[in-house]
Amino acid sequence: MAVDARARLQAFGGFLTAMVIPNMGAFIAWGFITALFIPTGWLPNEAFAKLVSPMVSLLLPLLLAYAGGKLIYSTRGGIAGTIGTIGLIVGANIPMFLGAMVMGPLSAFVIKKFDRKIENNIPSGFEMLVNNFSLGIIGFILCLLANALIGPIIQEANSFLSMSIKALVNTGVLPILALVNEPAKVLFLNNVIDQGVYYPLGMQDALNTGKSIYFMMASNPGAGLGLLTAYSIFGKGNAKSTAPGAIIIHFLGGIHEMYFPFVLMKPITIIAMIAGSACGIFTFQLFDAGLVAGPSPGSIFAYLALTPKGHFFGVIAGVFVAALVSFIITAFILKMSKNGNDDELSVSILQSQSMKSEGKAVLSNITEDNNGKVENSINKVIKFVAFACDAGMGSSAMGASVMKKKLSKAGIDIHVEHFAIEKIPMDADVIVTHKNLAERAKLVVQDKPIVAIENYLADPKLNELIKKIKNQHK
Amino acid sequence: MIAKYLAGNISILDKTGSWDESIVLASQVLLDKKIIKESYVQAMIDNVNKNGSYMVIVPQIALAHAREDKGVLKTGLSLLKLNRPVMFPEEKLVSVIMVLAAKEEKNHLELMSELADIFIDDKKVKNISLSSSIEIIQEQFR
Repeated sequence: MAVDARARLQAFGGFLTAMVIPNMGAFIAWGFITALFIPTGWLPNEAFAKLVSPMVSLLLPLLLAYAGGKLIYSTRGGIAGTIGTIGLIVGANIPMFLGAMVMGPLSAFVIKKFDRKIENNIPSGFEMLVNNFSLGIIGFILCLLANALIGPIIQEANSFLSMSIKALVNTGVLPILALVNEPAKVLFLNNVIDQGVYYPLGMQDALNTGKSIYFMMASNPGAGLGLLTAYSIFGKGNAKSTAPGAIIIHFLGGIHEMYFPFVLMKPITIIAMIAGSACGIFTFQLFDAGLVAGPSPGSIFAYLALTPKGHFFGVIAGVFVAALVSFIITAFILKMSKNGNDDELSVSILQSQSMKSEGKAVLSNITEDNNGKVENSINKVIKFVAFACDAGMGSSAMGASVMKKKLSKAGIDIHVEHFAIEKIPMDADVIVTHKNLAERAKLVVQDKPIVAIENYLADPKLNELIKKIKNQHK
Repeated sequence: MIAKYLAGNISILDKTGSWDESIVLASQVLLDKKIIKESYVQAMIDNVNKNGSYMVIVPQIALAHAREDKGVLKTGLSLLKLNRPVMFPEEKLVSVIMVLAAKEEKNHLELMSELADIFIDDKKVKNISLSSSIEIIQEQFR
């Protein structure tokens, strides 16, 4: 049971990663534009700066939603996810990353369920019409629902945040604030907490003493630096190779959003962020450090520029401590999860798609043990069988149709569908393909069980697979 | 539905020189009817060269096909019966070469499922691969 839960968690982590990683390029493009061209950036440019807001509030969340939807239900799911999410974005008025990562897959799931329901009931000739209108109508409903519901939710979240921050400030134990700050930042509520709470508090403070620690509560770039450095060293695949670039944009450019995807794809690293920031705040307090104004963007340069004379040591120490603590914890988390390979899996799938077929994969998991039995190698309950062939039109379609009929005769209703090899979806439980194509399939699906057959219509291994499914569904 | 697509597209030959020639010959009627382009014929041959004889879907019957974007103009199907089987790669003997040109549409599935029903029917497969009469072959697809 515990194993099952862990496997599920890993699969979920893999799902988040697969949603975020393909979009890193978009994040980086946006990060550069922002760091360079906003009024407080390195090369202020009014025209280019106009890109910043639409990209972060529309482009990035929609890309996430598309990627998430597509994982659930290929292109149709991606489109459903995008339609649903635009409702959310317009309704929320803030960059909705987390919302997109929920709404994208959710919308795809809804349309997938709907399609399954009506699958066999469409009069022939009307398929295109039904498909387009079902997506249109369901998309329209999802979009409106998201739009109507999200506004109040965000408003509630904002006022809840402001209230809890004020309450925490009153306790005087400032490091606790990291508990609220960090999750709120990753949920893109950082402007609310900075400009709504900390900056007013800071300005009041600065009027009296010439500096304030409140300016540094949520803007310390240290913890993010630590997290990204840990990813640069101990991360895997694409995440590892993207992290160094993200460091530059985040730490030197002050665009904290750059580390958000890294937290979103491995949510447990929020612990590193919280601990890092808390230690940073504690260090600032220890040295009685403060800034003279709100650093915007929160880069190391802005920090140093706004540090009053004589407080450099405290400010730098706070940033350094935050970086160190979050580095250590993130490194620990990444090390620990190294053996859990699901999330590596999805990262590597995405890589392998571009890797061409060189670097021949070892066909270790093609489902044959020494006796050539299918039985032993598939342990999971099979709910989705994907037949794959080169074109995804001929042999696989027939194979899928025959298996579907055999299963439905036995009263079993599971999802059996046919695909071109490159389009095998992530949620397939087992892949059936011709033995000559198995190697290519392996590059796409990696660890998933592959049943390699010689005949799509009547292969002994297909009968074994059917038997296996029947046993599972008794 | 298959019978409709196959009508007029069945031919019988005594033998062909090689498996790729058999695909070319089986495709001819679809080329003439502008259902596929030349490029599609080459794509099917390339496909066998690259992926082997997985298109030999049941013993004796090859269902040659390639991706829609390789030159499918319309959905169509043809059948070439050889009185003397030809050897496909991996030592597979084939006496019936069917060429499938499929447009991705919903009724594509229905078509494939009908085809599958025929191919898993041993009696029909036997009738198709042993007969040398167009009428009898046509009859099996009804």
